[in-house]
Amino acid sequence: MKKEVIAEVYLTYRLYIFPIVVAVASLGLIVLIIIPQISSLISNQKVGDQLSHRFKTLEVKAKDLETYDSLDLSQKVSYALSAFPAEKDFINVIGLIQNLVSQSGFTVINLALGSQSSKALNTDSYTIKLEVSGSKILAANLFSSIESSTRIMKIDNIEISNAQNSQATDILININVLYSPSPASFGSIDSPLPKLSQKDEDLLAKLAGVSPFSPPDANVQLPSRGKANPFE
Amino acid sequence: MAHISINLLPIEYTQTTLKQAKFYKVQALGIAIILLMVFLASLSVALRVLQNQNIKGVASGVSAQEQKINSLKDKQVSLLLLQNRLQVINQYLGISSKQVKLYQLLDKLIPQTVIINSFSVDKSGQIVISALMPNSLILDDTLNNLVDKQMSGNMISQVSIDNISRGKDSVYRVSLTIKPL
Repeated sequence: MKKEVIAEVYLTYRLYIFPIVVAVASLGLIVLIIIPQISSLISNQKVGDQLSHRFKTLEVKAKDLETYDSLDLSQKVSYALSAFPAEKDFINVIGLIQNLVSQSGFTVINLALGSQSSKALNTDSYTIKLEVSGSKILAANLFSSIESSTRIMKIDNIEISNAQNSQATDILININVLYSPSPASFGSIDSPLPKLSQKDEDLLAKLAGVSPFSPPDANVQLPSRGKANPFE
Repeated sequence: MAHISINLLPIEYTQTTLKQAKFYKVQALGIAIILLMVFLASLSVALRVLQNQNIKGVASGVSAQEQKINSLKDKQVSLLLLQNRLQVINQYLGISSKQVKLYQLLDKLIPQTVIINSFSVDKSGQIVISALMPNSLILDDTLNNLVDKQMSGNMISQVSIDNISRGKDSVYRVSLTIKPL
């Protein structure tokens, strides 16, 4: 009885009921499936683009890193660190200054380490007070040899005095010896890789050519010492 | 010859037939709309699945590259350290300090015949000189050289005589303070 009533109502109003059912079903499909899928497609497209961009960047970075030779790089780092170290290198610098002084024709009278680090320059530095004796004509050579040394040093005070009954000149120089601790972080995976410019390569070649303290040569083979078999 | 059309069917039958025809049209259109919606829904789902697969592929590629870069991290550290050092080395290497430049300038400007007893240049670049000048001509020359902007290369802003005396030997004892620009 009930079915017959429903069928009769449907047959009477099917011209209206059918379009309403179609509209509701279409709306349901649009709201529940099409719109969420399309919005996900759009947002995922952005994620996909970012990922593929990152992939390309990382691929290029990995290829670039592969082109560098580890040994060559570590040697370059050692040259750079010998010119501008991460720590105070008193012993090396004292030896170097003594060499420069004697090469410039002067004699070291006194050499003292400054008590405080100076921040006058854009980097850390410590002071060395150098007192030398020699000909005044050679003073300019001494200053330029100190400042053009591949171990970075800057003169910030000069005092020259002539002894009354002597040809020799006493020179007191304050030298700022530059150093800087290594950076705290060395970049993330995504950080861009620095490229060495031609200027950097030229500078490294210069540092390698006249390295103030020759770095240990990895290829040098020490002669064998002692017995081949110590139990014999 | 004109045809005579006579409709003997009841009017209700005609109306029912017209209603039915209208409904079939609406039905066909409704089914077409439903099919279109189903097609669009399945297309969007398929696209989404394909996109997810692509993203998974790229993500696995990214993680592979990350592993590769991690294995080469030593080189990255070396490069960054090298760049960090070279920046400062480039800034200072081969560039004379103000003090040395001033010393070289005065060495050029002061005549050889002048005997310098003492010379000092401090951190600010201020120079104090105590010198013996054999005669007034050389004293004039020296002072003129020092105050001449062209000769001093615009490195000196002020020259002041702190003390001047002439001895019995007609030698001038001069103390000068020179301020840099």
